[in-house]
Amino acid sequence: MPSIGIRYCGGCNPQIDRSKVLRNLKELLKKKDLQVDFITDKERSVDIVFLINGCMHACLEEEFLRSGHNPQHISVKGEMVDDQYIKEESIPDFLIKKIIDLFNSLHNVISF
Amino acid sequence: MTMMTGKEYIESLRALNPEIYFFGQKIKSIVDEPMFHPHIHAAAITYELAHDPEYAEIMTATSHLTGEKINRFTHVHQNIDDLVKKVRMMRLLGKKTGTCFQRCVGLDGLNAIYVTTYDIDQKYGTSYHERFKKYLLEVQENDWMPSGAMTDARGDRSLRPSKQKHPDTYLHIKERLGDGIIVSGIKAHITGAINSHKILTMPTRTMGEEDKDYALSFAIPADTKGVTYVFSRQTNDTRRLDGVLDAGNPKYGIVGGEALIIFKDVFVPWERVFMAGEYDFTNKLVETFAGYHRSNYGGCKVGLADVVIGGSNWIAEAHGIANASHIIDKLTEMIAMAETCWSCTLACSYEGYRTPSGAYHINPLLANVTKLNITRMVYEWMRVAQDIAGGKIITLPSEKDLDNPESGKIIEECFSGKEGFPPLDIIKMLRLIENMSVGAGLPEAMHGAGSPAAQKIMIARRSGIDIKMDLAKTVAGINKDKYFESIIGKDENTHWDEMKKKIKEKMVQIY
Repeated sequence: MPSIGIRYCGGCNPQIDRSKVLRNLKELLKKKDLQVDFITDKERSVDIVFLINGCMHACLEEEFLRSGHNPQHISVKGEMVDDQYIKEESIPDFLIKKIIDLFNSLHNVISF
Repeated sequence: MTMMTGKEYIESLRALNPEIYFFGQKIKSIVDEPMFHPHIHAAAITYELAHDPEYAEIMTATSHLTGEKINRFTHVHQNIDDLVKKVRMMRLLGKKTGTCFQRCVGLDGLNAIYVTTYDIDQKYGTSYHERFKKYLLEVQENDWMPSGAMTDARGDRSLRPSKQKHPDTYLHIKERLGDGIIVSGIKAHITGAINSHKILTMPTRTMGEEDKDYALSFAIPADTKGVTYVFSRQTNDTRRLDGVLDAGNPKYGIVGGEALIIFKDVFVPWERVFMAGEYDFTNKLVETFAGYHRSNYGGCKVGLADVVIGGSNWIAEAHGIANASHIIDKLTEMIAMAETCWSCTLACSYEGYRTPSGAYHINPLLANVTKLNITRMVYEWMRVAQDIAGGKIITLPSEKDLDNPESGKIIEECFSGKEGFPPLDIIKMLRLIENMSVGAGLPEAMHGAGSPAAQKIMIARRSGIDIKMDLAKTVAGINKDKYFESIIGKDENTHWDEMKKKIKEKMVQIY
């Protein structure tokens, strides 16, 4: 089963409900019958990392990129995912597409 | 890459031949017109300091297009550090001039158009961004100062641009040709317009589909055929012609030297057009520009505050009252207000973010808070400066009376202060405080980069009020509080039922 490492920013003043984004994403994956292992343990190796930043400043991204080890990642930063503006309610749908694309590029198959 | 010095910048203006009117007269040479000198000097400082190793770290940047060193006023911000250095540069230049140095409008225009053209191209497959990058490269290579021309004349503001009685009330496309567009319209109170090399236009407001010909951004040389400038009046402006002393800041003037720019059937080639009808991106461009520009005010106006605070303290010393507790208290108030605004602008820079274009933008909520504070606090610290300086700032005799042997001697004697403070210096400082606290600088702090209502609209839009209501509902006990329940180890309702029972038992014991 493909795995996604979950990292949250500190959440000082988020513009989006970060846990709701993940909750909705999980529900959507379930509806589509897609199985993904979400892992919060930073020590475990994962296929991709999912950075959930509450706002566009994206403290987590900064820290993550600075750390030097940069596995494939998707960065939610407020109402932005990577380099695209996405309304909060559309973020889970958008993430599903991103996740499928990323896994495809990693494994050359949809590994769900 | 060229990085002009102050002197080279001034000489570069001689190559231009714009059509400028002031006091009903056509101005023959910008550089030789004494009424324009202070504004030109203030802009020249932005060039001059870039060559001083003491300030180069702030005043210069590395171009992301060429990797070469450029004046920061032509730079597109590539990281948070760039945003921070930009506002540090604003404060520095405010300190050095005591007024507006004009060049930030073009800088913010360059950045806002860079960010927005990328987004337009993503949606429509246009090539505005590449086109703009070529223009930006030329700006950097030549160290040009483009004026940022955003605000239109606007006429009846209850009507949309396309519904105005006079079509030129807003700048618009009159005709689309194979090789470019023909534009007409008026841009109003454009800072630094008469001493800029280029004009960089942007729409002034959100446009609808019916206004798509008004959804327009382009760049042209300042002396393009069909462009006319009318230089604006400012408080006490003709004092510049009365001598040196009365103007207060004869070197750098007062506010930015604003002008009307009238475009009459001006041809703009397509390679210099960066928006032509994409009305759904006007709001984006306006808000992006406004965000950058509003953040600046917590830099430049605080630099001005540094000057006026220093001037106020000096005058208090000259008057022999610097140790009075009320003076110390007033100066401390001024400092606290200025540093509050500085904190705001640093915060909106440090909290900035990377846009899809790769350029960095400030935090828009905090930038608008910065500017809203400026609209109030500049008035307040200038009021305190007037308070400390005393009534003399509005009743001083003229320089001509000082020069007059009949009156000059007695005036100098009466205006002498504490030992070591020459009367002429006291008059100079009082004139500077008058210039900074009584004149056009105040409404400029109010309306420059948009009026307070505009800031409040953006603050309200970005406040996240729904999130705040949820927070309140959780603290008030309306929403479930999972952390509280975790702390107490049970469901909240059960906890309060138990608590009520315990309190009741306790009351029975007491009474």
